[in-house]
Amino acid sequence: MRKAATSEAADGARILGRLSAAVLPGYVLLIVLFYFLAGEQLHLRESRGNMGLPPADSGTVELTAGSTVEQAFTTKIQRLESVSVQWGTYYRPNAGTILLELVDLRNGAVLLSGTFDASAITEGGLTTLTAEQPIEGLYQVPLLLKITSPDCQSGSAASPLMNTQGGLENGALTLNGAPAAGTLCFIAQGTDYIWTGLHYWEFAAVGAAALLAGLFAVWLRIRQGRRSYVINAVIAVKKYRFLIRQLVSRDFKTKYKRSVLGMFWSFLNPLLTMCVQYFVFSTIFKSDIPNYAVYLLIGIVAFNFFSEATGMALSSIVGNAGLITKVYMPKYIYPLTRVMSSVVNLGISLIPLVIVSLATGIQFKKSAVLTLFFLCCVIIFSLGLGLLLSASMVFFRDTQFLWGVLNMIWMYATPIFYPESILPENFKIILRINPMYYFLKNARLCILDGISPEPAVYMQCALMALGALAAGALVFRKSQDRFVLYL
Amino acid sequence: MSETVIEISNVSMRFRMNSDKIMSLKEFVTTAMRGKLQYQEFTALDHVSFTVRKGETLGLIGRNGAGKSTMLKIISGILKPTEGSVVCRGNVVPMLELGSGFDFDLTGRENIFLNGAILGYSEAFLKAKYDEIVEFSELGAFIETPIRNYSSGMLARLAFSVATMVQPEVLIVDEILAVGDAAFQEKSKKRMLELMGGGTTVLFVSHSLEQVREMCGRVIWLEKGRVRMEGKTEAVCDEYML
Repeated sequence: MRKAATSEAADGARILGRLSAAVLPGYVLLIVLFYFLAGEQLHLRESRGNMGLPPADSGTVELTAGSTVEQAFTTKIQRLESVSVQWGTYYRPNAGTILLELVDLRNGAVLLSGTFDASAITEGGLTTLTAEQPIEGLYQVPLLLKITSPDCQSGSAASPLMNTQGGLENGALTLNGAPAAGTLCFIAQGTDYIWTGLHYWEFAAVGAAALLAGLFAVWLRIRQGRRSYVINAVIAVKKYRFLIRQLVSRDFKTKYKRSVLGMFWSFLNPLLTMCVQYFVFSTIFKSDIPNYAVYLLIGIVAFNFFSEATGMALSSIVGNAGLITKVYMPKYIYPLTRVMSSVVNLGISLIPLVIVSLATGIQFKKSAVLTLFFLCCVIIFSLGLGLLLSASMVFFRDTQFLWGVLNMIWMYATPIFYPESILPENFKIILRINPMYYFLKNARLCILDGISPEPAVYMQCALMALGALAAGALVFRKSQDRFVLYL
Repeated sequence: MSETVIEISNVSMRFRMNSDKIMSLKEFVTTAMRGKLQYQEFTALDHVSFTVRKGETLGLIGRNGAGKSTMLKIISGILKPTEGSVVCRGNVVPMLELGSGFDFDLTGRENIFLNGAILGYSEAFLKAKYDEIVEFSELGAFIETPIRNYSSGMLARLAFSVATMVQPEVLIVDEILAVGDAAFQEKSKKRMLELMGGGTTVLFVSHSLEQVREMCGRVIWLEKGRVRMEGKTEAVCDEYML
């Protein structure tokens, strides 16, 4: 007996050794890869202090030579990039030059200045001062936006627009030297540093330390001759790897068995769905989303996977009743393999996505690789939900019909074929509580815009996916012993 | 040879049964609201204890509903007993009912691997034994045909061949011996005896006393969830006949 325990500990130590050898370099690789792929978005995000355009309801003064319009303001932008002013033209052609200046009120230094041709200004148009390098150190610094003209004549001069409802808290509008109530219609934009991004390597180090501590704790448990969940999990994976592979390949082989095109359908299905929806929504409903085909296809591929995986997992326990009541194997294997066979399908359906993207002229940036992160989130999320549904299906057969309806509602509540902007403000809550929305939005950001979302978004998505998995696994674990009684 | 393989101590299995199984949420809610959600306790096994030694062939007999199948499910780990403990050393391989665990769209070859994996065999083992399995099943060229085209005899032969190709420590047989034609029946009986000679512990459930007398060394007679009698095959079977 004593001997058995020792050899078990030795086994455990060996497995732990191999696990560490796989996990630690993997972690380092992922950290470095992410640093490289996330690029600038790891450090900078659109500033939360960006000042939006107030709605114009009046002109200021006709900006002739000698008149000035001055707006004092402070911003919470860490790196100021541009300032814009909105213009009214009196609906006539104008002429002359306009001078825009941004002044630091602390020392009177001119930070930005530029001249614009008044004849090029359209009604409601913007003139923008852009900094060559983002200006730092202007956080909460009093600034003055000064608009003058050296040569504009009355009758052919434009007028900066203003909003007469309430002024800025920390800056006044001055027209020709006289204070005026209201705000100039202007925009200030820039970026902020992301604290987590600036401390990326520190965070990575903390993560590595936590990982090491975890492995060390497992090692201690083994030394004391106790069994560890981690080691048990690794043993289970090794033991059931062959079975899982067999079951996945069974699902995959039988899915398209006896069909002429076979697995080509996995490839064709999303493509055909996309064509139909593209036709319906771009010609009949006139959607104006840029790159609509790819926008649509990302949504279709991800959501199809979600429906298929959850739908298949749902019936996995009930459908395998014959086996479950005869052979012992861990029951989570059934929903797990169903989700995994859907993952194979997902992999195949990425091919048309890449083809369509290239065909419609999308330039894949390095951030496109990060899409995989969000697809992983979808997979984990689906697995969690699948576990939950398969367990619930055993006790209430209504689940399958209920899920059919819910799945449809979910599809419409996720911006797959429509832009999120068409939802009225009071329905936006639907998006905010919908994890699929976040996964899709960010996957699209990575492919269509070629940029990575900010670091907090990764955390948010990972938490949603892992939360679903934890909830599903918990329910499944608690109820799995009673499955047999209800099959 | 007297090493204990299975140790059943004081095992009870109680099911909570509704008058009829409630399968939908609506039914559940409506019956619960009417206050009619009554559970009936049904005791399938009542403090059963016995041990099985290595290499033994133990027969379980009893009338329908005596708890034989429940006992087998508890031993193979499918059911958890309400009370008591089960210790089982070694891997338990159940002889599946015809067809369960098979996928009818796959070929015989693919099914050997699938079914083997389900029964817990390793990949290397299956590859090594593959030829032997095919040969024993006498399927020949049909092994590459989808098994939906098989006759029931061919299916049975395949199932039997996969299940018995190992030397499982514990083999559970729930009356499926009479498969195939007379020749194959003879062959499978021989194979069973071979297994038993090779140290495999066999748990055998059957209503055919004839088979039990032929195969088993010891018999446990279950009645209404309790052990009614336990002992040498002849003695128990004679008593049971009365």
